[in-house]
Amino acid sequence: MSIDTHSELDAHGAHDGGHHEPPEVVDGRQRMGVWLFIGGDMIGLGALLFTYLYLRGVNSGGHWMSMWGYTGHPYSYYYNILDVKGGSIPNPKLIHVGTLSAGLNWLVTVLTVVSAGIIWAAERGLRATKNAKSYSTLAAASTVVTVVAIVFTVIQLRHIPQIFSAHNDSLTMAYTAYDSAMMAIVGSTLIHLIVLAFLGLGLTIRSARGAINGTKWYQARLVRFFWVWVAVASVIISAVTTTINTIH
Amino acid sequence: MTTTLEQAKTAAIPQGGGLHRRLNMATAMIGGIVFASLFWYLAHHFLDATSRTYSDEVAGSLTIGWIVGFWLGIGAFVAPLRWLIGRDNTRADDLYLAGQGQGTSRYWKFTTDHKVVGVQYIIMTMVLLGAGGILAMAIRTELIVPGNHFVNQQVYNGFIAVHGMLMILALIVAVAGPWGNFVVPIMCGARDMAFPRLNALSLWTLVGAAGLLLTTLAVGSLTMGWVVLEPIADQAGVGMDFFAMAIIVFTVSTTVAGVNTICTILTMRTKGMTLARLPIFVWGAIIAAALGLYAFPYFSLVEAQTLMDRTFSTSFFVANAGGTGWLQANLFWLMGHPEVYVILLPAVAALFEIAAVMSRKPVFSYRSAVAGMTGLAGLSILVWAHHMFTTGWAPTLGGPFMLTTELISIPTGLFFLVLIGTLWRGNIWMKLPTIWMFGFIANFIIAGVTGIYLSDIPLDDQLHGTMFVTAHFHYVFVGSVLFGAVSALAFWYPKVTGRFLNEFMGRISFWLTFIGVQVTFLAMFASGLRGMPRRYSSYAFIFEHTNLMTTIGAYIIMAGMLVLLGAVITSWNKGEPAGPNPWHANSLEWMVPTPVPLENFEVLPVITEDPYNYGEELVRS
Ligand SMILES: [Cu+2]
Repeated sequence: MSIDTHSELDAHGAHDGGHHEPPEVVDGRQRMGVWLFIGGDMIGLGALLFTYLYLRGVNSGGHWMSMWGYTGHPYSYYYNILDVKGGSIPNPKLIHVGTLSAGLNWLVTVLTVVSAGIIWAAERGLRATKNAKSYSTLAAASTVVTVVAIVFTVIQLRHIPQIFSAHNDSLTMAYTAYDSAMMAIVGSTLIHLIVLAFLGLGLTIRSARGAINGTKWYQARLVRFFWVWVAVASVIISAVTTTINTIH
Repeated sequence: MTTTLEQAKTAAIPQGGGLHRRLNMATAMIGGIVFASLFWYLAHHFLDATSRTYSDEVAGSLTIGWIVGFWLGIGAFVAPLRWLIGRDNTRADDLYLAGQGQGTSRYWKFTTDHKVVGVQYIIMTMVLLGAGGILAMAIRTELIVPGNHFVNQQVYNGFIAVHGMLMILALIVAVAGPWGNFVVPIMCGARDMAFPRLNALSLWTLVGAAGLLLTTLAVGSLTMGWVVLEPIADQAGVGMDFFAMAIIVFTVSTTVAGVNTICTILTMRTKGMTLARLPIFVWGAIIAAALGLYAFPYFSLVEAQTLMDRTFSTSFFVANAGGTGWLQANLFWLMGHPEVYVILLPAVAALFEIAAVMSRKPVFSYRSAVAGMTGLAGLSILVWAHHMFTTGWAPTLGGPFMLTTELISIPTGLFFLVLIGTLWRGNIWMKLPTIWMFGFIANFIIAGVTGIYLSDIPLDDQLHGTMFVTAHFHYVFVGSVLFGAVSALAFWYPKVTGRFLNEFMGRISFWLTFIGVQVTFLAMFASGLRGMPRRYSSYAFIFEHTNLMTTIGAYIIMAGMLVLLGAVITSWNKGEPAGPNPWHANSLEWMVPTPVPLENFEVLPVITEDPYNYGEELVRS
């Protein structure tokens, strides 16, 4: 390989945390990294929705949204009746679980979209006005909105109904296929929101300390890319799960 | 001559580093064990002990504790927390993390220098191959005669599953890990990977995952092979929880490594290093990384859902509660077939590189090589259901999947064309890398042709689930990928150590391994053709002779691998000195001194042509 060693001297390296490399070079690299992570996340979302739609499509044993058993109490309640006290419980009923609250679903989505909107507007403001103080405030607001979304996501998770079923010698607490798929989807949303809350907190602190400011705003944009993607994913999730759910 | 191991001793240890000054593999292990114990204790005491899934909940908590503690102990959380509070690394911190002045101790730490990570991957690959190899020997010893009771049958089942997964992990990293890290950045003309800290993270996350996978052996009870088929996986003991978590953690490692590799190659190339001038190995590395990025999310999802079924009583894969095993099979093989090429492509691309250098010719039809690798990656995401031909899932799709699978032979055919075309009328230098490459060529033909048989549905109806399948993919993984990996090791070993891999021992190892592979797996084909099912701990007497042959062959392979291990160890400090460019190659990794200095280049080079123009330098010294 022919190499021209008389090129301009470049005495700085990759281990200097980007202090000497031009920030836009470092930024370009990190932007690609963020987009690739988002790409992997898109495959993950696709696989989750595939799971949801596939289980709905096959509806094994008619158990997409219904199952024989009992509901309303924790596992130990029925277990005690059956195994410990030697009692018996009435014949199992076919329980139709119904969909999870669409309102709660969309509420989380709206909160995520709003938080993404705030973080985007904050970044535009920072780049236009160079005011890191107001950026910090808006990032904090966005983080708070995300935390509220986390709370509602946890509420949604806790609303997924368990069904106790006792057949022959095995006692099981189970979820219908719909509830299983929703637990994975809502769980994934929860993990993403926790990451956003961490990133939002970081942006808040960093901009307050001057690590992000009117000239060093690249990281704000990197985080915004991911934030907007999570918001878009949330819209897709809510749209799919609230329009395609019951089987007639 | 100093080796890389001694290289960083000369510089003074930088002042920075903070918490990392105290953290290393020992603290990681301690952290992992302490947190695993803590999580186990908490789960044990606070979860509902009457629940059917109690033991799995406890096991799952323990595995989470292990990885959290391991990450804490190695220092994986230091950078995110420093970012959070706005205290970014200083230059001194970064130099400390890069391992400056820390001698061999940097190999046991969260070190960011890509060359250190490359060497760590060499060690990791050898550990995984060694553990998987010991299990293989145990399996073959059990099968030496029918009705043998070398190990108990449940233990045997666990050996089958863990042997499979260990070897898959080992081969995923066998070429891409050491050489994707050690040489790819230098080949591109970069001072390090795009994200050095993520590079260290991916290595140490792999170590954490390997810890979990090895622990499954201790807790046992894996009964369904490395595919961990449902619904058997739902009924397995707590070993399955460790196994699933190991895979989830592993996919974190591969995703991070994949993003890093792609960004490095696309954004860190030096001036003049256009895509058309890239050494062909770099193409293999980036295509494999992109394919891994596509494939591994399915892997983590399917194992997460397996864990959820087992711990939260969801019903993804449990048919009597609304799930279906076909979902598991689909998600698994959506990952599983592309993963084969995540394993194969770096090895093939390394061989293209080696063929060019060792025959003093440009890569024959460079564009075909790139097109073949890209085409293989693209096709590989459309063939997954050939693993499900006999499961009853979507029989009408059998034809299309058979077609896409058979189309695979076109890009793989291109690989042969490129390799043979490169060697054709070349001035071939018969050294270790070349010898192992010829082994690859011979074995890969058998691997590929038997694959075409298996893609044929009427024949697959007969052969699926038999030892024929096992022999086929062992020709792929052992006969082809392992041979490519050893060739790559012999080729770049002098760059790492400054010394040649011992030629004599390497040749002994080659002949043992090459003969061993033929004896082992040709006999295994025969067992399979006669109908011997795979994964069984015993068999009928009609399979007696072919199994004895297979076991003897396996011992020969093991002998070959031990000789290779001996060569790697003894040559490290005592091998014949090689100088900076022993193969008289033109790509950048051979232009820098050996040992390669921290940050690789004094002055970043400017590239004016591709690395395969040997011009008048055909005469070797
Ligand atoms: Cu396949």
